[in-house]
Amino acid sequence: MGSLGQEIAELWGEHLGREVGVEDDFFTIGGNSLSGIKIIEQVTEQYGVTLSVRDFYLAQTPARVAELIEQGRTGA
Amino acid sequence: MRLTPGPARDVDLTGVDLFDLDLYGSGDPHPLWDVMRARAPLFHQVLPDGREFWSVTRYEDVRRVLSDHREFTSERGTVPTHLGTDDPAAGVLMTSTDPPRHTEVRRPLGSKLTARAVRVWEERIRATVVRFLEPALDGAVFDLAEQALLLPALVTGPLLGIPEKDWEELVRLTAMVTAPSDPHFLLGSEAATLAISHHELLTYVRDWARTHRAAGQEDESLLHHLTSVRPGGEPLSDEEIALDGYSILLGANVTTPHTVSGTVEALMERPEQYAKAAADPTLVPNLVEEGLRWTSAACNFMRYAVDEVEIAGGTVPAGGAVVAWIGSGNRDASVFPDPHTFDITRDGAKRHGAFGFGPHFCIGAPLARMTLRVFFEELLARFESLEPAGEPQHLRSYFIAGLTHLPLTGKKRRTTP
Ligand code: HEM
Repeated sequence: MGSLGQEIAELWGEHLGREVGVEDDFFTIGGNSLSGIKIIEQVTEQYGVTLSVRDFYLAQTPARVAELIEQGRTGA
Repeated sequence: MRLTPGPARDVDLTGVDLFDLDLYGSGDPHPLWDVMRARAPLFHQVLPDGREFWSVTRYEDVRRVLSDHREFTSERGTVPTHLGTDDPAAGVLMTSTDPPRHTEVRRPLGSKLTARAVRVWEERIRATVVRFLEPALDGAVFDLAEQALLLPALVTGPLLGIPEKDWEELVRLTAMVTAPSDPHFLLGSEAATLAISHHELLTYVRDWARTHRAAGQEDESLLHHLTSVRPGGEPLSDEEIALDGYSILLGANVTTPHTVSGTVEALMERPEQYAKAAADPTLVPNLVEEGLRWTSAACNFMRYAVDEVEIAGGTVPAGGAVVAWIGSGNRDASVFPDPHTFDITRDGAKRHGAFGFGPHFCIGAPLARMTLRVFFEELLARFESLEPAGEPQHLRSYFIAGLTHLPLTGKKRRTTP
């Protein structure tokens, strides 16, 4: 779990052009729908999990998005 | 907000909050703007969270701020709701791009929305309007403001190429964008609500374009046009198409209904003006212009000062946010004598800034004008008179001046002329 959160934080970092920690808030660090669209697409490609748009923006931190991916994997 | 202001008040401007939602939901901002134009044409305000902005309220200043992109840029965002957060779509989204690139971004859509290009839609729009008005003909209470929210979907849907079944959801998403903190819409935080609605609108259009391309379909729709044009030799990217579609959906959905409702409200308050227009349908185009001026549904747009700039007798520092109050400029007595008089025969009503000024002048204006003209032609032809059937209710928004409820009953003409 810890490492998946770290991977997601890195993925966000690439799109937002800055260092991102696992507990950082998406909107506070400059996230928006344009970066969100790209991030969700990439998560689908890399992890085979399609995140719900609402869940993604309401999760708001890499750690919680990692949990969603875990749930998506076990649920699938 | 009240479009017919109450009695003139002597207002003390210290501490006035132009972003106070109550001012628009249940209040009366016009007397306030009257005083600002006279005494504080450049009005500085700091919000409780520290964000600050400067307001201009006179016609000439509104025009200058909206049209001079060298002094006032659109690239950091133009909607006051996003004050202080730079627009991530700068340089791609038409509204958030300055010339010269703006000219390129705007061209593919512009060619399809000229007065000449939209004329082919007139009879289809007329049929839609006739169907829209039908339920009011039997004399039952008709909530025009509520019903009108669907009008742009009915009109713009076929033009864009969007199937009818998707419209309800798209209308809900555009409403969410304009009022993210409204308890009807709020999901988590305001930022999350905005991101979710933006995201879903953008991916809707993007997926439409992808499916459409994959199927190799061809049709007359605006979205098809965007998938096939090659400005500068390159096709538009999915993201560019999504943002163009988003602009159209938003531009059309959130303004036209309020212009319809606000103008009808003004006519109900002044039956003699209604009768005058009904007696002489050649007055309808000017009635539409006066209705646009009167309602000014897009109440304001924002720019950021590029450098320190002198305006309206004061100074805005470099990078300062400037809100141009269109609703106020359109009641400037130096351009519109007796500005708070609604007069369908007003000379020069068309000088209003309801569609903005300069390079960003509303790309949908020809379509909006035609829709409104057809709407009022059909309304006047079908109803002898209209009566209020309850209290109108106003949108709690400092950005969009609008009505949420306008219950009325119509008296049908015995013979339809
Ligand atoms: C009564 C109805 C309408 C009103 C009052 C209105 C008002 C405005 C205003 C004031 C602007 C200027 C924004 C700025 O300066 O930053 C604008 C731009 C725009 N409008 Fe409208 N609008 C209306 C209808 C429409 C319709 C029907 C469409 C779509 C077909 C539309 C699409 C747009 C777009 C895409 C822009 C951006 C243009 C640019 O940045 O170059 N609008 N509108």
